[in-house]
Amino acid sequence: MNGPLILVWVAVIVLAVLVWRREGEAGLRAGGRSALDIARTLVIRLPLALLTASFLIHIIPVEAMTRLVGPASGLVGIITASLVGGLLPGGPMTSFPIAIVFLQSGAGVPQMVALVAGWSVFALHRMLAYEAPIMGWKFIALRMGASLVLPVLAGLAAGGVVAVTGLSY
Amino acid sequence: MKIARTDIVFAVLAGVTGAMTYARFGSGAVVDALGRAGALFLQILPQLAAGLLIGGLVTRLVSREKVAKWLGGSSGITGLLLASLAGLLTPGGPFTSFPMVYALWIAGADAGALIAFISAWSLLGFNRLIVWELPLLGVEFTVVRYLACLPLPIIAGLIARWLGRWPVFRLAEPEDRGA
Repeated sequence: MNGPLILVWVAVIVLAVLVWRREGEAGLRAGGRSALDIARTLVIRLPLALLTASFLIHIIPVEAMTRLVGPASGLVGIITASLVGGLLPGGPMTSFPIAIVFLQSGAGVPQMVALVAGWSVFALHRMLAYEAPIMGWKFIALRMGASLVLPVLAGLAAGGVVAVTGLSY
Repeated sequence: MKIARTDIVFAVLAGVTGAMTYARFGSGAVVDALGRAGALFLQILPQLAAGLLIGGLVTRLVSREKVAKWLGGSSGITGLLLASLAGLLTPGGPFTSFPMVYALWIAGADAGALIAFISAWSLLGFNRLIVWELPLLGVEFTVVRYLACLPLPIIAGLIARWLGRWPVFRLAEPEDRGA
């Protein structure tokens, strides 16, 4: 048991109590049924998606990409870092340790912010494993279209924040 | 249980990436990936179940009209702000948040609100911030990163609404059972 897991189950219990007080057992059954409907669509594709993601961790050359970003500076560095961030495989437990490698190799703060933001919004791995099975490809196309500039904006804004506050690491 | 086109796409993806892994790294790597995927599956099950239940229960509490009014196409910036705040507060991993996006979609939220929600969850979510980013990357970097990302979910929501004018980006009605 970890903190976040406890938190989500507390949320489930609170919501269940609220539903029960408003609609009684019938409401709970209806809520459970709609959860089961989605679960049924995931039965085949989720395990396959997780498997694909695990293979990708082997295939994507993380170390080669570390060299690509390095201490790069300026807008080109920010754009490169955004893309590299999007390709980082795995959840926070694999990607943040990789981010430390970049940080220690002397990358600038704006590039690092772009990298973390790129990982957050593009997340190839998360897209394949969860977003596509649940939301479908059309939603992904829309989200990608809407998110394309975000990491670059974040990098530029970080440059501004650093300039104004003098914060660094 | 029905096998949908998406399931076939995933079977092909798993086959192709599996073959690439085998060709380049041998059977050890394939076994390793299988074990990793299995462990991950068991690990996310409790969170996935919670996410699906939260989605299902929320649809009982909030009527379609209310969601459409607060987060629908004519909810304006307020709708995007509300969706961003909800995303920021949503705990758990993608196996919790995406079922919630799905539930909001069925309940009548527009594309802009859905994108703002998921962007806020991924960029500003408290959960990951406290568990991973602060301990691993330090307070100062995290503060800079957070400030720089603060307005992004709203921007993404606005872009999503703007993109909606082209059919390629227009979301269909949710396929209720994911046919």
